[in-house]
Amino acid sequence: MDDRRRAILEEIPRLRRYARALLRDADRADDLVQDCLERALGHLDNWRTGESPRKWLFTIMHHLFVDQMRREKRRGEAAMLPLDGHEAMSVAADQTEDAASREVLQALQAISPERRAAILMVSVEGFSYAEASVILGVPAGTLMSRIARGRDDLRALLEDGARRRSIRVVDR
Amino acid sequence: MSDRDFTERDIHLALDGELPKDERPAYEAWLEANPERKARAARLADDVGLLRAAVAGVAEEPLPERLTAVVKERASEPPRAVWWRNAAAAAAVFVAGALAGYLAGGLPLGGEGEGERLADDAIAAYATYAADPAHAVEVAGGDRDYLQDWLSKRTGLRLVAPDLTAQGFELLGGRILPAGHKAAALLVYRNKAGEQVSIYMMAEGREKARGTYAAGETGPVAIWWLDQGFGCAIVSSLPEGRRDEVVGSAWRQIKEGLAG
Repeated sequence: MDDRRRAILEEIPRLRRYARALLRDADRADDLVQDCLERALGHLDNWRTGESPRKWLFTIMHHLFVDQMRREKRRGEAAMLPLDGHEAMSVAADQTEDAASREVLQALQAISPERRAAILMVSVEGFSYAEASVILGVPAGTLMSRIARGRDDLRALLEDGARRRSIRVVDR
Repeated sequence: MSDRDFTERDIHLALDGELPKDERPAYEAWLEANPERKARAARLADDVGLLRAAVAGVAEEPLPERLTAVVKERASEPPRAVWWRNAAAAAAVFVAGALAGYLAGGLPLGGEGEGERLADDAIAAYATYAADPAHAVEVAGGDRDYLQDWLSKRTGLRLVAPDLTAQGFELLGGRILPAGHKAAALLVYRNKAGEQVSIYMMAEGREKARGTYAAGETGPVAIWWLDQGFGCAIVSSLPEGRRDEVVGSAWRQIKEGLAG
């Protein structure tokens, strides 16, 4: 295997992590990663020498994600569900997932895709604002406002969840 | 520097490591002086921690083979584009493929290349039939119910002929093709501009998989799916955005049809 393919292979764990957080469902997330890898392999010439494979791959995946979100919106569907709709819907994602993780990942799904992507890029994937701006194709100011609003959304959702839980406890 | 007024914005900058180092002490002092802000900064930091922890395990999981295969497989394969020079060559490949299937005595396709072979056959069928408007179909699309019944009976699947009028494509009709010892159904669509889309389906498939298969830089592209006992490839030369729309709509209808 040549160096470029090896470099791409090494990025798969991160791409999967990002896709999983974006889409929640493991199959759909890996579908996105697969599309991204296929696209990347088909356009190896577009990978400029010296450019970080990570940024290049995340940029490709972001474009695919945006396309997917746009299509779903146009169709007015909650999701494009390949093969087994019911499986994807009943997010039985991972048995080992604890309650806090489940809660935060579910809350994340309720946030707009643009804000979700922005938060994940910097908070989880550790890209700088400058890098994330380039990958997401938005000015730094837009990125910052997406991060701030996304975090507000997330906080509100989590507080809401906590409040509902405490009400349930009181009810008993 | 310490005179600078800090705001909510700086909480995010600090959290993301974007606050200049020399502003850090003043920022910390500001937090100390503003308990509410400090509490908010702590909550936001907790949320980041939660997010990271929630997906940290994903990066440690063993990689699914279908992903590593995309990167590895193609490395060892010669470029596929070469044979895609003209329809005659494509037809020859199609005949060879059918013959190979016949000689193999109808063994299930199986293995890693199952989806690619399905896609290859689908592209050959597209080249042979869809691209020849005069002889594209055996049964016209006018009587959709009859066409669906006929194709379903011959392939042993519950097939629907997706309605792609919303994407501008009219169903010309369908035909049955030999595929190994089985029969494959080919549906052909055309729009006003003369662009073609074909859907190739057969009762062959072992495990769930999907992929994109291109017959060279300028040739048609097949989007394929496999599932238990079902294989489907949608072939067209449409630009990607429109192709995805057609494929998305067609696949949804096919899936609903199979589910009954």
